[in-house]
Amino acid sequence: MTMVDLRADAVETSLVDLLDRLLGAGVVLSGDVTISLAGIDLVTIKLRALVATVREPSA
Amino acid sequence: MTATYLYAITHELTDSDIGDLRGVGGTAVRVLHGDRMSCLVSTVDLTEFGEDALRNNLEDLAWLERTAREHDDVVRAGAALTATVPLRLATICLDDESARQRLNEFGEAARHALAKIDGHDEWGVKLFADRAASDPDPAEPVVVSGTAYLRQRRASMLLRERSAGRMLRVAEEIFECLAVLATDARRHRPHDRRLTGDDRPMVLNAAFLVDRKRLATFRSAVDVLVGTDCDVSVDVTGPWPAYSFVPEPALQQDAET
Repeated sequence: MTMVDLRADAVETSLVDLLDRLLGAGVVLSGDVTISLAGIDLVTIKLRALVATVREPSA
Repeated sequence: MTATYLYAITHELTDSDIGDLRGVGGTAVRVLHGDRMSCLVSTVDLTEFGEDALRNNLEDLAWLERTAREHDDVVRAGAALTATVPLRLATICLDDESARQRLNEFGEAARHALAKIDGHDEWGVKLFADRAASDPDPAEPVVVSGTAYLRQRRASMLLRERSAGRMLRVAEEIFECLAVLATDARRHRPHDRRLTGDDRPMVLNAAFLVDRKRLATFRSAVDVLVGTDCDVSVDVTGPWPAYSFVPEPALQQDAET
């Protein structure tokens, strides 16, 4: 049954697939994430560590 | 100092529904009640989740991974219970009152999103161009003369370019066909080859919001579409909470205006 195979897919989630979703489309690769804090501030964060890992030198 | 960390908006839940659920940093997850909806939250310490701390922590891959997985665990727990609109990682409010206020501001959009997501899962579909097709000329050009060599190089470059273009068109066609079978569809940016650890370039990184009743149809469509083109291979992930289908005027941006 295909259903069994599908669930098996879900067991190991790659971090990159997860961050694609948790940080929003394209955000991981563009290196910016907007974070709301204290209900007022919007802080733009540079994910340097992640970008260094993820990003190809601009083609 | 503490703050309220928001994971997801759900149809109405109670604390007993979620039991002893743990969130980021092992904090206890609670249910915050809004107007005909609930929000899964926990109390976090600002020494770890305050503005400056976050700025540093988000750049620490180990912290980011741990927090992302803990966040994901809570969202999945919600999605296993009822329709769940995931919130972005590190959506933090000053306190419960501020969280409730934003929940209400987001109210109509959230209820609309909950109705859309209900009975659906997100599925990831990644397509890779197989090496043979993306790299059509593995044979080293034989050096005869300078001009002949350049001609060979140019020919193989053109072939590669044409092949890469064809791959993207194939990926686009497959995306369009699958989108018809899904309630909604989104493209994420394809991953760098260094991330995938795979020689084959990723030509599509898409997410589909699929009605559970149509899942079998969707899955066989993936098999058929990919099966008819032997130059691409597929990696399907899921089921995911509907991360890629959160309405855009998102909670975290809404309160600014």
